[in-house]
Amino acid sequence: MIFLEYLLIALMVFAALLAVIFEEELISIICLSIFSFALTALYLLYKAPDVALTEAVIGSGLNTAIFMAAISQVRSGRKNHVSREDE
Amino acid sequence: MKNSIVILLLILLSALLIFSFDFIPEQEIVVDSTAEHIITKGLQETGSLNLVTAILYDYRAFDSMGESTVIFATVSAIVLLLSFKTLPVSSQGLSFIVKNTFGFLAPFIFLFGLYVITHGHLSPGGGFQGGVILGTISIILSIVYGSAYDYRKYPPKTKTLLETGGALLFLFIGGLGLVLKGHFLANVNPLINEPGRLISAGVIPYINIGIGFKIGAGLAIIFYSMIQKTYVEEELKS
Repeated sequence: MIFLEYLLIALMVFAALLAVIFEEELISIICLSIFSFALTALYLLYKAPDVALTEAVIGSGLNTAIFMAAISQVRSGRKNHVSREDE
Repeated sequence: MKNSIVILLLILLSALLIFSFDFIPEQEIVVDSTAEHIITKGLQETGSLNLVTAILYDYRAFDSMGESTVIFATVSAIVLLLSFKTLPVSSQGLSFIVKNTFGFLAPFIFLFGLYVITHGHLSPGGGFQGGVILGTISIILSIVYGSAYDYRKYPPKTKTLLETGGALLFLFIGGLGLVLKGHFLANVNPLINEPGRLISAGVIPYINIGIGFKIGAGLAIIFYSMIQKTYVEEELKS
């Protein structure tokens, strides 16, 4: 079991490094999702199932959706600075 | 030059943080501590098998009310900044295969969310986790079927009603404890005779239901406010 613990910590450090290195934002978001998955397995190994469920739902599901929505907003605003005044 | 200085400082700081673990004093076992009291007598006093839920919604229920107030203020600020228009926004959605597959899977996701909410005092889980699972259904509907379908199925007025209804249910249960037992958010009539049944642990399952609907509706409102402006610009181009 001690080997599995070290393997998960190494995977977390590797995913965090990849999220910093890449320039493309979508790859960075997917790397953060992998980081959350490894952290969920580590919480389950330390016998804390409540915290593991919270981390799985929020870290892998909700953060990805909200980050992708925010990045699409920023890109569409950067392309065309249209000051429209409808309504 | 500047980069090398930054890297050296980071390595020094990491070494300092790692070696500072050696200076932590050893743990002294206290006989009459709080953890000891909760582990030995928590099941008798609250009636819930899951001790984490017993702490969150019985011993420290006032702190949970503060956390839900934080989420309510966040939803209000995001809606104020992003111009919460009640206009349906049309979009294409994804392909035929994805639509049919998600239509088959959606009731099972809804059932799992309700299970996590209502069994918060027997198994791991509770109001926050189940509420996020319920809010995820609305988010996937916006992505797969387009946000006009999500607007027709669950209009923003319905989400706002669900959120305020959950918060008001929480406050009503707190007032009930004040009237019947003498202090705010007291556990009225915990059924200590039969722990492990679905209807047990007094008032904890109803607090879980209120918090779950409040969190799910709040997260769906946040995602709908963030996504609508992008689809308006795509419509103007075509």
